[in-house]
Amino acid sequence: MNILDVQNLKTHFFTEAGVVKALEDISFTVEKGCTVGLVGESGSGKSVTAQSVLRIVPKPGKIIGGKILFDGEDLLAKKEDDMRKFRGKKISLIFQDPTSSLNPLFAIGDQLADIVIQHDRVKKDQALEQVIKTLKVARLPDPEQSLGQYPHQFSGGMKQRICIARALLLNPQLLFADEPTTNLDVTIQAQIITLLKDLQRDLGMTLVMITHDMGIVAEMCKCVVVLYAGHVMESGDIETIFEKPHPYTEALLKAVPRLDQTRKLTSIPGNIPNLIDPPSGCVFHPRCQYAINICMEKVPPLEDVGGSHFITCHRWRELQGGR
Amino acid sequence: MGLGKYIARRAIYMVPLIIGISIVAFLVMYAAGDPIQLATAGNPSITEAQRNALREYYGLNDPIPMQYVRWLDHFVHADFGKSLYGGRPVNEIISTLFWETIKLQLVSILLAFLISLPAGIYSALKQRSATDYTISSIAIFGISVPVFWLGIVLILVFSFQLGWLPSAGAHGAPYLWPVFGIRNETLDELVHLVLPATVLTLAGLAYNVRLLRAGMLDVLRQDYIMAARASGISERKILYKYALKNAITPLITLLGISIGYMIAGAPITETVFSWPGLGRAYVAATLRLDFPLIMGITMIITIMILVANLITDMAYAWIDPRISIE
Repeated sequence: MNILDVQNLKTHFFTEAGVVKALEDISFTVEKGCTVGLVGESGSGKSVTAQSVLRIVPKPGKIIGGKILFDGEDLLAKKEDDMRKFRGKKISLIFQDPTSSLNPLFAIGDQLADIVIQHDRVKKDQALEQVIKTLKVARLPDPEQSLGQYPHQFSGGMKQRICIARALLLNPQLLFADEPTTNLDVTIQAQIITLLKDLQRDLGMTLVMITHDMGIVAEMCKCVVVLYAGHVMESGDIETIFEKPHPYTEALLKAVPRLDQTRKLTSIPGNIPNLIDPPSGCVFHPRCQYAINICMEKVPPLEDVGGSHFITCHRWRELQGGR
Repeated sequence: MGLGKYIARRAIYMVPLIIGISIVAFLVMYAAGDPIQLATAGNPSITEAQRNALREYYGLNDPIPMQYVRWLDHFVHADFGKSLYGGRPVNEIISTLFWETIKLQLVSILLAFLISLPAGIYSALKQRSATDYTISSIAIFGISVPVFWLGIVLILVFSFQLGWLPSAGAHGAPYLWPVFGIRNETLDELVHLVLPATVLTLAGLAYNVRLLRAGMLDVLRQDYIMAARASGISERKILYKYALKNAITPLITLLGISIGYMIAGAPITETVFSWPGLGRAYVAATLRLDFPLIMGITMIITIMILVANLITDMAYAWIDPRISIE
C-alpha cells in the first residue's frame, strides 16, 4: 500500500528575476514501511519536494498544481490549520544542517516540548517526559541533562540526534530526511545512517532519504526516485535502476568512486539548467550523451516500462537493446 | 564568575576611561577660548586688569594640569564646582535639569520601542504590501527629516495655528495651562510633553522599525523557523516566541545606546522647545564656555553611556545563551 502518492506536483518560485520552475512535473509513490531514496544533484528539487509535501515551501515559492495523497487524503486540498496538524505528527522532516535548524536562543527541552504540547495539549512535564524518551531513542547520551542545554553546547552529531528526536517525537508515519549527513564528519555520518536505518526498522516508519550520495542509497533504500531539474527522470526499485538505468542515473552512477573497480571517474558535463528558462524538450538533453533531435523537441512522458519501473526518456528502450 | 564580580570588574575598567575622557574634554574646552574674554568682550568699561582679576578669582591663570588636578579632586568628591555664570553649584543645576531630560527622553525612547514592535513585525510579515510601504515611508521620513525642522513645523501648526498645545517649556508655570478647562499639574506636564516627545519618538521610531523589520525578515528565512513550521508549531508561536526573540537582539543594543545617549541626544529638540533640560543647558554652557558646567554635563553623559553599555552587555547575555558575560 502506498502511504504517499505524489501526482504531477508543480512548485514554482516567483522571484523578481522570473519564475523559477523548481518542480515542474513530479510524480512518485512511496510504499508504506519502505525506505525510498530521493536522488539528484543540488537544485534538482529534492528539498522542495519534501517542503511541498509538508506545505512549508518558503516564500516566494508556491505549489501551483498536482495532488499529494497521504494515506488517501489529498494534502493540497486541506485547510492550513488542518495541514498544520499533520506536520510533525504524521509527517516529519529532518533538515540538512542541524546547527541552523535548531533555534539558538531556546533550550533543547523547551523547543522539543513545545511540539508535544502543540499537538497533544499536554502539560509541560508530561511533554518533557516524551522528549526524554525520544532523545533516548535517538541515542543522545544523558537526555535528562540535555533538556536545559542550548544548541551551541552540543557537537554536530549530537545536534543531528536531537533533530532526529524532534522529528520522531510524535511517532510520525512518514519521515523525510533531507541530506541528514551532508554537514557531518565522515565518522559521524556512518553513526547517523546506522541510527536512521535501525529506527526505520524498529519503528516500522516510512523513510524518504533525500541524498545525492549513491552509496547511502545502495545501503538503505529499497526504491529510488531520481530527480533532475524539477522532473522525475526515473523511479523504481534499486536493483532495476542500477541494472537498467536512465541515461541521467547512469551518468550519476559513473560519477561515484568505487574501490572495487579501476575505471576512471567521469563527471556529468555542464551544470544543472537555469530553472527560469529550462531547456526545451527533455530537460536533461543538453548534458545527455545519447541526446538526438527528438530529445530537444519533445518533452518525454513518465512511462511505466514494467516492473514498477518508471522512465522519462525517449531513447531508453532503444538503448537497452544496444547495451 | 558571579554577576557582582563581573559588574565590579567592569566598573574598575571604567575608571581609566572616565579619566581619559575628562582629560580630552578639558583640553578641548581650554583650546576653545577664554570664558572671561567671551563674557566681557562686549563691555568697554571693563579693563584688562579687571579681566585678569576675574581669571585669577576663577583660577584660570594657573597652569592647565594644575587646574585639571584641582577639578579632578573635586570630581572624586562628587563636586562639579560652581557655574561661571551666577555661581550656582553645578551639582544643583544638573540635579534640577536632569529629571526633565530623563522624563522627556524615557517617554520618547519607550514609545519608539513599543510602537516599533508591531510596526516592524507587521511590515516584515506583509513585506511589499501597502502597509509595509506606508510604515517604511514614515520610518524613512523620520530618519531623514531634521528634528529642528519637524519641531518648528509642529510648533507652527499645533501651537500657533491651532493653539492646542504649548510651544515651550516643561511646565505651565507661572500659570497652569488649562487642558479641557481643567488646571491640573500632571495634565499640564503631559500636555507640554506631547510635541517634543512626538519629535523624538518619530526620530527614534524610524531606526527601531527599520532594524526590527530587517531582523525579522532575516530570522524568518532561517532554517530553525522552517523546522518549527515543519514540526507543526502554530504561526503565532513561531512569530512571537521563536522569531521575535532572535530579531529583537539588535533592538536591545539600540535601546541601550539610546538610553546611554539620552542626555547627549536631546540638545536640538530641547533648544527648539525651550525644554528646561540638560541638553539645552549643555548647548548654552558650551556657547558661553561655562567650564565647570560643561565638564559636569560631559561627565554625566560619559557615565551614563558607560553604564548603559554595561547593562546592554548584560541584557545580551541574558537573551542569548551563546554570549557569556565572562
